[in-house]
Amino acid sequence: MRILRKTTDQLAISETELLALTADMEERHRETLPKMHAAVAEYIEGDGAAERSRVSRRGFLAGGGIVVVGGALLAACGSSSIKSATATTMASGSGSSAPVDVQAGAMAASLENLAVFAYGAGISAATAGKLGTIPPAVVTFATTAKTQHQDHADAWNAIVTGAGYQKVTTTDPALTSTVQSDFAQVKDAGGLAKLALTLEEIAAATYLNAIGVLSSKQAISTAATIQPVEMQHAAILNFVLGTYPVPNAFAMTTGARPVTDYSVKKA
Amino acid sequence: MSVDEHALGELIEQSADLQADAMHQSTEALKEMVEVGHDRRRTGELDPEQDMAAATRRQELMRKSLLGAGTLAAAGFGAAVLGLFDTPAFADSATDIQMLQTAASLENLAVATYKTALTLPFIGGSSANGVVKAFATTTMAQHTQHGQAFNAAAQQLGGKAQNAADPKYAAVVQAAVPTIKGPSDVVRLAIKLETVAAETYVANASAYSDLNARKVTASIMGVEAQHVSILLAVQALLAANAPQLIALPPNLSALPGAAGSIGFPNAFYQTDMASPATEGAVS
Repeated sequence: MRILRKTTDQLAISETELLALTADMEERHRETLPKMHAAVAEYIEGDGAAERSRVSRRGFLAGGGIVVVGGALLAACGSSSIKSATATTMASGSGSSAPVDVQAGAMAASLENLAVFAYGAGISAATAGKLGTIPPAVVTFATTAKTQHQDHADAWNAIVTGAGYQKVTTTDPALTSTVQSDFAQVKDAGGLAKLALTLEEIAAATYLNAIGVLSSKQAISTAATIQPVEMQHAAILNFVLGTYPVPNAFAMTTGARPVTDYSVKKA
Repeated sequence: MSVDEHALGELIEQSADLQADAMHQSTEALKEMVEVGHDRRRTGELDPEQDMAAATRRQELMRKSLLGAGTLAAAGFGAAVLGLFDTPAFADSATDIQMLQTAASLENLAVATYKTALTLPFIGGSSANGVVKAFATTTMAQHTQHGQAFNAAAQQLGGKAQNAADPKYAAVVQAAVPTIKGPSDVVRLAIKLETVAAETYVANASAYSDLNARKVTASIMGVEAQHVSILLAVQALLAANAPQLIALPPNLSALPGAAGSIGFPNAFYQTDMASPATEGAVS
């Protein structure tokens, strides 16, 4: 990876200070995880247990819905716009018999997996020198955001598996091919930031939409604690791209993925 | 100051257009809330005093049950969850109204604080960084809209509008203002207010009984988190004595690596600083 190094007349002191702040930040981030795990555990003991019981009773009747299998990404092909791909799936639904909170959790996990993939691919491409010179701030952003998206995916998967369904290891099938196609066009840090911004906006919109349809307090809390973080990612990406970082007084649901658009499979 | 004023103006104009679109969505949600509120009043469902008493009883039962079980405390999550129940969880119309009024009070305080800050030469005057000034101006306007949205929601559920500032944090601001010496002091204060607002709304999102109150709050909490994010980045650059890097577009190659992640310190938004429902409610 070709990373710009600061010159000595630029922030000779600040880098140290900022690194110290980052260490504090990482520590705080890690402190949040036990709380989230506890919240998920509460769900599993409550609504999740009830759902597992329900699933068990009617297990042999189930089998409808499309099951997405395997962890591999779909082959690159399809349209050139992620948002248009999102729009074309708005009317679709899985027809799954899973409770809406589980379906939403699976949908969210698949979106988070997609973000992890995109940031991972970006970091790999940058490391291989395929994206030109990458500023250090962009590297730090991508690395940290990827970690946080993995944490989000884990939180949703805990809810999904706690309710008696299979862990979601795939990326959102409706968007994956488009993201791959768009990623193939990325040539520099700016292109990577634009792609990431689109994914962050879709994730934030999906969570905002989900908050209006989720039923359990734990699922709503999970979505509510993640949506602002995706919004923060978007703010920093807007700043990186030279766009005003807080463009709207109210978050929007434009581009949201339908919460029922991922077929989750019973364990 | 390294900012293209014309370009920034265009960006803010675009932002205003997007904001108008978002306002439309919010207005639709509020219209739904009006209908629900009217229905409830017509059918006699809404009795704030009765609702409040029932909510209090339920909260107390929940608290005893949770503490008795000890499971949450053992998991290290007890305080946070009980904080949510204080908000309270599974609220009703009366507590929904209180939460909305408290939210409005936090917004009122934010508006007043940014307004005061903009009178300072290093925030809104000739010596101010252009991006910081634009941020303070735009953010103040956004908080004004948030306050209006929360008050409309409270009124449509049968409550009164809250036009006063949150008393707890008004005192904090009042104590801080005389000590302000430069932009960093203002940014530190703004981070505190924005964090309290964001965390309060995150906590409240799962506590409302009214779906549209939840939706309105959810549409605002992420925006406050974005304010926090930008303020954290600005704070770090000011602390690093690099105000010239607070610019749009930024000099990406000159930004230190840590600047890329300073704005989102947690994978999950916290609620430790969330204000209780009654803090800014109309008495």
